Amino acid sequence: MPDDRLPENRLPDDRLPDAPAPTRSFRLGVAGPVGTGKSSLIAMLCRELAASLRLGVITNDIYTDEDARFLRSAGVLDAERIRAVETGACPHTAIRDDITANLLAVEDLEADFAPLDVVLVESGGDNLTATFSPALVDAQLFVLDVAGGGDVARKGGPGIARADLLVLNKTDLAPHVGVDVELMLADAGRAREGRPVVALSRLDRASVEELTAWVRATLAEFRAGRHEPQDPGPMAPHSHADGTTHAHDEAHPHDEAHDEAAHAPLLTSHPSS
Amino acid sequence: MSTSDSVSTPDPVRSANSAPSPDLVLALLADARLPVGAHTQSAGFEPAAVHGGLTPAQVPAFVAGRLASVVTVEAGTAVVARHRSLTADGLSGAGLAEVEDAWAARTPSQALRQASRTLGRGYLRLAQRLWPGEARLAALPRAPARPVVLGVVAALAGLDAPRLVRLCGHEDVATVGAAVLKLAPGDPADTVAWTLAAHPAIEALVARTAGLTDPEEIPAAAAPLVEHQSLLHARTPRRLFHA
Repeated sequence: MPDDRLPENRLPDDRLPDAPAPTRSFRLGVAGPVGTGKSSLIAMLCRELAASLRLGVITNDIYTDEDARFLRSAGVLDAERIRAVETGACPHTAIRDDITANLLAVEDLEADFAPLDVVLVESGGDNLTATFSPALVDAQLFVLDVAGGGDVARKGGPGIARADLLVLNKTDLAPHVGVDVELMLADAGRAREGRPVVALSRLDRASVEELTAWVRATLAEFRAGRHEPQDPGPMAPHSHADGTTHAHDEAHPHDEAHDEAAHAPLLTSHPSS
Repeated sequence: MSTSDSVSTPDPVRSANSAPSPDLVLALLADARLPVGAHTQSAGFEPAAVHGGLTPAQVPAFVAGRLASVVTVEAGTAVVARHRSLTADGLSGAGLAEVEDAWAARTPSQALRQASRTLGRGYLRLAQRLWPGEARLAALPRAPARPVVLGVVAALAGLDAPRLVRLCGHEDVATVGAAVLKLAPGDPADTVAWTLAAHPAIEALVARTAGLTDPEEIPAAAAPLVEHQSLLHARTPRRLFHA
């Protein structure tokens, strides 16, 4: 618009400038209940990886930007690379059903600091059922801590059973809260049917390296085009008590004669006619 | 988006056998489940409750005040943006930029402009999936004001001006009601009753704004208290809603 309109009293132009075409980062979600150490884990990842990878962080809070402020004050990343998304009291919605605000925030970070290698998206601490939509993150880790109870891993749930990585955090606290880490790991292993688990303590260097090695390996898979985002949610392929495996979003793996129409894909590619 | 790349969106124009039903389009756009990030908004209720001591009992009067002021600006802007989108003005972007300027001049609070543009981005993102390659969407800025992109969407979806105004009015009242249930919960039927009770005021809004065609005609209805509270809210820690 020409500047000769509204010459004197022009409002300050607070429109967003046009963004450059962003480059796509590897988007890694961090979910888990309140207080399990998601923010500290992200601070740890930034501390460990910032020297070799270009990082950005999106936090989701129930209240304003507490987690973003914690991370900025931790000094592990430039403050401008840490952005908060307000979830309007619906942290679950913002990472799963209506991911609009988070996608816009991720895309802004990718545009403003292009190219980024990894954007970490922290969910607002919700409950055991909250997991990320695969349309928002490429991979997700689910964080539990030993102080939340040794039996939580056995209870299972989408994040525990099917997140790309399960982290059992604060293992150094186990003796103080009467939790048997080995038993919790065994429970988690059964719930996850072989998917990876890391027993993490910030005081245990080997466990920290196990976590960062997983992130680097998954990033490498993503870049090689071998990583497909998976939804850990209730519609993910899962086992039934009778031992059969059941996939909702693909043709039935076992029964050739199975009526495919009854298992029509939820998200199908429409014929491009 | 990672997975959506593999999911094609049916062309809403080509897949419909006839013109879309305006009533269904209105229901679609008024649905709180529309994925545009609107669940982060309280339509001024949280700022008014926190900084003005507004109680749920006062909500009907609060809603009436909003319909007479900020929603009038919103609806008038949306109607004029729709009108321009239906003419050659909508294709270049310059015609809609003029509408956005008129809206910004009538929305003095930077916090309210920012909240509207955050929502506008959400609507634009959705619209670009529904009407890929549409020139009238491509002509919009990265973060258009919500009523501007809503006007363009109305033009694309076949929503007439009176229904567009009803959408603006209903959305504002319903957003206030939903926020009340989060912040000061009572009987949820009360919030529905408020929405119903606001219908005469919304129809009056239709009469005032549905016929507008020029940005200069958009009413400049000031709401100093709403604007002031929005600015306070933007600096308030531990808020539940963005605005």
